Parts: sequence; structure tokens; C-alpha cells
Amino acid sequence: MTALLLAQTVLAISSPMTWGIGVGTAGLALRLAPQVAWQKLGLLLALIGIALIGVALPPLGEALPQVLFWLMATLAVLASGAAVTSRSPVYAAIWFAVSLLGTAGLFLLQGAQFLGIATIVVYAGAIVVTFLFVLMLAQPEGHSPYDRISWAGFAIPMAAIGVALVIGMLVGSLPDFAPVGPPSEVLHEEHVARLGGQLFARHLVSVEVVGTILLVALVGAIAIVIQGNPRRKPLVQESEAGR
Amino acid sequence: MNEAALLQNYLVVGGLLFGIGLLGFMVRRNMIVMFLCAEMMLQGVSVSAIAFGRYHNDWGGQMLVIFIIAVAAAEAGIALALILMLYHKSGTLDMAFWQDMREEGQPAFVDQGVPEERAEDRVWPTLTPAGVEPAVDQEEQQHRSNV
Repeated sequence: MTALLLAQTVLAISSPMTWGIGVGTAGLALRLAPQVAWQKLGLLLALIGIALIGVALPPLGEALPQVLFWLMATLAVLASGAAVTSRSPVYAAIWFAVSLLGTAGLFLLQGAQFLGIATIVVYAGAIVVTFLFVLMLAQPEGHSPYDRISWAGFAIPMAAIGVALVIGMLVGSLPDFAPVGPPSEVLHEEHVARLGGQLFARHLVSVEVVGTILLVALVGAIAIVIQGNPRRKPLVQESEAGR
Repeated sequence: MNEAALLQNYLVVGGLLFGIGLLGFMVRRNMIVMFLCAEMMLQGVSVSAIAFGRYHNDWGGQMLVIFIIAVAAAEAGIALALILMLYHKSGTLDMAFWQDMREEGQPAFVDQGVPEERAEDRVWPTLTPAGVEPAVDQEEQQHRSNV
């Protein structure tokens, strides 16, 4: 039993996936360091990490989807890493939008046409723009010391180690999935029509609830902003005083 | 296409996106960037959900992602309004400003050795000019319709 556990540990440690995760997270942590030379080393390590993870992934079996998957996945992961580590919040928002484009490409590759477009429209089109609006309102000068330093010192390596463990556990706990045939239902010719049918038939109540949530969130956001700005005195009092 | 391998690849990418978002949430101090990292974690979950949906040939994954997008939009509205309120109160987006709420007896967090701002950090994103400037018709410019 102990020997089996030991063998498993050795196998896990020697796999490129483990090394890729470790090296990549170390690279991310170095990207957050204040020294420029460390940041460059961090970029190099992050790229090596992504390459190692890519080597460890099983091949898809077809050339075109494989190349597209490579492109989209690299774009998404690299851009999200850049969003997390860029000093200026404006660049962080823009890199986040780029990462969303990569994710939308991944959705399209899976045959989820509606969701790919919806991600671009809702996330990159609306949410990122709202981010930029708030940035403009709250931080017009753009560059601040707390963005350059973050939680300096001990916090970044600790966070990186924790995250490497989380990713390692997520990836390491994947079982060997049984091979299945191509999905006939999800990849149906009338994909969007089927999706809409499912959404408005089986999940109708959920759609109603989500609509209510959106409305409540809208009213709540307006109420929160109004609470902060005390109302001006109504004009009626003035006219009454003059009467 | 090898469906099992596809699922495995997508789960790894989803895990990576989730982990990167988690790292950013713990490490960054700008409230807006922290919120952005939370959205990134949602993206990782969405990638995994869609991959599972395709593998099991079931619409459940895509349905879940539709609702994730809707709830994320609602969340963005409320959270950004709250961030604006906090900004009005404190005048900064710094999360460390609110460290007065820490537990009693904890030492305060003090910035040490803030790096100088570099010249390349001051560069803003710009748009490159696109398209061709249309040719100006001289005759139309000189034509005065009122005279």
C-alpha cells in the first residue's frame, strides 16, 4: 500500500503536467515582483509552463481542431495571466477582454455557437465597458502605488503556492474518461433552435427567476448610488417660501 | 474527434483559468481588478461546464453557462455601484484602506518599498487610425447654395 502510494507520488512528480503547473505559477508570481529582471524571467517561466502543460495534454486526433484549440487555449490562458499581472488596471481590463475572446473561441470550438457569441456580446461588450467606465470615474490618473506593489512580500509566494496546489488537485483528480461517440444532440444542425427550445421549455422558471434577478440588481444598483449622494432640496419649498 | 481527450483538455484549461483568477483575487489590491479576477474564475467554470455538456451530450452545461452569464451581469452592476460608493467614501480603490475592519490585535499592513513608476507604465492604450480619408470635392466646397 505504501509502495503504491509512493509510486503514485513519484509518477505525479515526474509528469510534465505537474512541472508545467509549478513552473507556470512560479512565473506568474515572478511577474508580480517589482524587479524588472524578475518580471522578464517570470514571462519566460510562464511560457515554459504553458508549453509543458500543452505537452501533457492528450491529442485530439484531428489536425484542424487541435491547432484551433492550441491557439484559443494559449490566447485565453496567456491573456488572463497578463490581466492578473499588468500594473495598470486599464490594461488589466483590456487583457481580460482578450482572454474572453479566447474563451469564446473555445466555446465555438465545442459547438456552443450561441454561448460563444453571447460571451463576446455580454462580457466583452458590456461588462468590460462597465469596468472601464468605473475606472474612468474612480481613477482618472490611472497609475497608483497600490497597483504597483500589491500585497508585497510574503503574500505573493504564499498565494502562488496555494494556487499551484489548487490547480494541481483539480487537474490531478481527473479520471480517465470513457470514450464516447460524437454528441448528436448538442451538435444538432439546428443548434440554436434546440437550445432555445430547452431554455424556454425545461428551464422556463429559471429564466423567469433570472429576469427578476436582473431587474432587482438594476434597481438595487441605482438605489445604492442614490444613497451615497444625498438628494438636493426640492424646488417646491422655494416657491412656497416666495408665496 | 476524440471526445474524451477534448473533455480532458477543456477541463485543464478551465482549471488554469480558475486558478489564475484565484491568484489575482488574492494578490491584487485594486478593487476593480479583484472583481475582474472573480469574473475570470467564472469563465473557468463556464469552460468546464460546456465541456461536460458536450461529453454527456446534454444541454445542462450550456444552460448553466447562460445563467452564469446573466448572474455575472447582475453581479457586475451591483458590485460596480458598491465600488463607486466605497470610492466616494475613501477616495481610493485600494483595498488596504479598509483594513480598519481587521481583527483586534492584528498589526496594520504598511507599504514598504513601493517601486518607482517607470516610463513605460505611463503609456496609455491608443487606437491606430483606420480607413482612408475621403477625397474632398473642391467644387462642392466652393458651392454656396444660399447665394
